[in-house]
Amino acid sequence: MIERLERFLADAEPGRRARVLSYQPISGGYSRISARASVRWADGREETLILRGDPPAGSGVFVSDRDAEWELLRALPNLNSVATAPTRWYDSSGDYLGAKCIVMQSVDATSFQAVLTDADDIGPLSDLFVDTFAAIHGSRLDPLPERMTRPSDWMSYLDGVLATYDQVAESHPSVAPVVRYVTRWAAGHRPPPVPLALVHGDCQPSNVLVSEAQPPIVIDWEFAHIGDPREDLGYYHQIPLLPNVYWSDSERFLARYRAATGMTEDQINPDVVDYFLIIGMATLYAQLVDAADAVANNQHPGILASYLINAISHQHDMFLSICDRQN
Amino acid sequence: MISRPTTDQLIADVCQDLVEAVLPALADETLQVRVAMAETVLRNAAVRAAHEIAWMTDETATLIEYANAVNARIPNVELTAALAAFDEAPQSSLHLADVVETYERASQAFAAALAGAQREGTVELVDTAREMLHDRVSTEKAVMATYAVVGR
Repeated sequence: MIERLERFLADAEPGRRARVLSYQPISGGYSRISARASVRWADGREETLILRGDPPAGSGVFVSDRDAEWELLRALPNLNSVATAPTRWYDSSGDYLGAKCIVMQSVDATSFQAVLTDADDIGPLSDLFVDTFAAIHGSRLDPLPERMTRPSDWMSYLDGVLATYDQVAESHPSVAPVVRYVTRWAAGHRPPPVPLALVHGDCQPSNVLVSEAQPPIVIDWEFAHIGDPREDLGYYHQIPLLPNVYWSDSERFLARYRAATGMTEDQINPDVVDYFLIIGMATLYAQLVDAADAVANNQHPGILASYLINAISHQHDMFLSICDRQN
Repeated sequence: MISRPTTDQLIADVCQDLVEAVLPALADETLQVRVAMAETVLRNAAVRAAHEIAWMTDETATLIEYANAVNARIPNVELTAALAAFDEAPQSSLHLADVVETYERASQAFAAALAGAQREGTVELVDTAREMLHDRVSTEKAVMATYAVVGR
């Protein structure tokens, strides 16, 4: 991999002659293959790069479009609403690095989840987390890439999400009873609409890097889309990594979010967050079930697919509990 | 066949070896995560191996009883077709693939019955089905008993 990266850098930065000093895979992501590489240029400067590439074809659980992510990462700085890791280059064909791969500059910052774990008082950190995502949700949409789908209206957007669940139920009999029940329930319990917005799609502190010197940096944008911003809150609600700042003090979390976004209590409250747990999980849930199916069809997508069958059961349990609470 | 150790005991034995002998010897962090995931999958598989035929057989009977009850009160085309497909399932076989096939057809019939009950607003039928869904998910949770997030 070191030689591949050196060849890539030679073409990306002709004349600068890079020597790759180290290349180390990074664990922790469930989706893309990530690695950290240390590079020394001919002028003696050294820097650390982060590589984020697709897993080999047919393997892995979560599917997303690297071209779309690259375009979005290039557009995000124009929003002036969220800080991101500086992008450097993109192997758009995979010819150099073995798979489509985004190369970013490493930032000197710590995982927000790790900071939360070590904190004595997570209240102020909860506020920072909320403010970070509220700012994303308040972003202007016009600078975003053309390829991002712009739903025509809130109702049809929600219909589309529920249709994803219908399709899952249609093709996967073992989950069909739970999915069909929950989908029908969700269709009949829609909360008040809010304007569609930029949704991160994997909202959790593990995807935020913090340091004292700079604003929080939000990473892993592969599931970003234009949708209902409350999806991010619902999605975070099901993240089992502790401390979860929503679980710790949901009242503070939601009051802060309402203040930052101007949403009313009807538009965002614990029931609505529960509701958007179901909506915010639709894409990933469908991919989890597809991956389990790939195992069943001997396609060997990798150990993650089998491991995350538990996550499907975890979702079922939460989905049913939500329907029960709001019946 | 050699019936003891049972399948779940064999898998549990492999898990112990993975955790005590293989995992500590791995320096590569990404491989450590993969082995930890594999051990979780194996532990889940051990639970399934010990009970899955009984679980699916028992639940199939309940699902079909419900589907027939709904079909008698508020029949619909999808439900009738799903019940006909169930009738063609290899119901008498205890081979795992046949039990799964039968269970999946029963699940489709149950899902169609529940959808019909929700559509018609038949409260007691929906309530009964909701209890059955909870039982179903309880079984799923029994399988995932040792699940913990690894590698994040």
